[in-house]
Amino acid sequence: MRTGILKAGATLLTIAATALSALYVTAHLKNPAAPLQPTVLSASGATTVSAPGGTLTLGPSVQPSTAHPVTSTYAS
Amino acid sequence: MRHSGPVDSHHFEALGTNCSLFAVGLARGRLLEGEFWVRRMGARLTRFSPDSELSRFNASPGSWMDVSPELESLLRESLRAYEMSSGLVNVAVLRALEGVGYTRPLSDGQPIATELRARPLPPLPDVLAIRPGAARLEPGAGIDLGGLAKGWMADRLGDALGPNALANLGGDLSARGMGPAGDGWPVGLGGSTVLLRDQGAATSSVRRRRWSVEHHHLIDPRTGLPAQTGLEEVSVVATSGAEAEVVAKTALLVGPAVAPAYCAAHALAWWLSP
Repeated sequence: MRTGILKAGATLLTIAATALSALYVTAHLKNPAAPLQPTVLSASGATTVSAPGGTLTLGPSVQPSTAHPVTSTYAS
Repeated sequence: MRHSGPVDSHHFEALGTNCSLFAVGLARGRLLEGEFWVRRMGARLTRFSPDSELSRFNASPGSWMDVSPELESLLRESLRAYEMSSGLVNVAVLRALEGVGYTRPLSDGQPIATELRARPLPPLPDVLAIRPGAARLEPGAGIDLGGLAKGWMADRLGDALGPNALANLGGDLSARGMGPAGDGWPVGLGGSTVLLRDQGAATSSVRRRRWSVEHHHLIDPRTGLPAQTGLEEVSVVATSGAEAEVVAKTALLVGPAVAPAYCAAHALAWWLSP
């Protein structure tokens, strides 16, 4: 008799914990403010310049300069 | 740590083109060592010498051949380039180059224009297998490492020459460190000057190495013929010289409609010339 009561109590406790956990999780699906993605540079930071013979586009990690170039990339 | 100051430079001809090495705060002897290394690698990787390691590999299809660590690294880089370009950068291009008449260095005379016949290149992973210290080429296939080798060599030179150096091998270049003024290496790109810091650049073009209206060196793997895409020249800045070479060639091959989006996804800066 006493064993049966303990078994029933444990079963009810488990069901209750499961049900309450399910209710909590469904009510808190996610935190919309959570930083799920790392911050990345925006592609819109690119600047495009039309020049004689073509177009030059510079992304945010490449800076233009007025210095005299030490060398160039070219077709060989 | 900043390494700014006067630039030492060293210029020489190798790999069938002009090469330049620059460094800040480096003994001049190191730049000469760089030249010797370029010449050694050039002799090993050229397809125009029957004694080169690459020519011996091309001449031994169907069996595993021991390869040097450098050739193994380049062949692995070639497979990576094939994947990165969705097959548009394919070093199994030797037979197609021979088919359009490019059988000798241009310094030995203009190639003879041949009749053009479409023959798509085989997928590189189908004809090239690599295992540690050895590689295998399928019969009928041939490898030409071309610009990919120059970009790969520029990257290794950039690493070897110290923390503030630039290697330019025929337009394929690799810049390391903060340059002579501490704000990057000033490099010409599409008529402008940009500052490169731990980056590479390359140019792919059909304006050079051309011997008729239809014949030039840049083969489209989809046809096996010289590329006609509506773009004639593309210059790219990327995270390394080898990567810049792959992106520039791919952008030229996909043409003007797709190249801007492709470059926006893969390049740090780019020059497109129709």
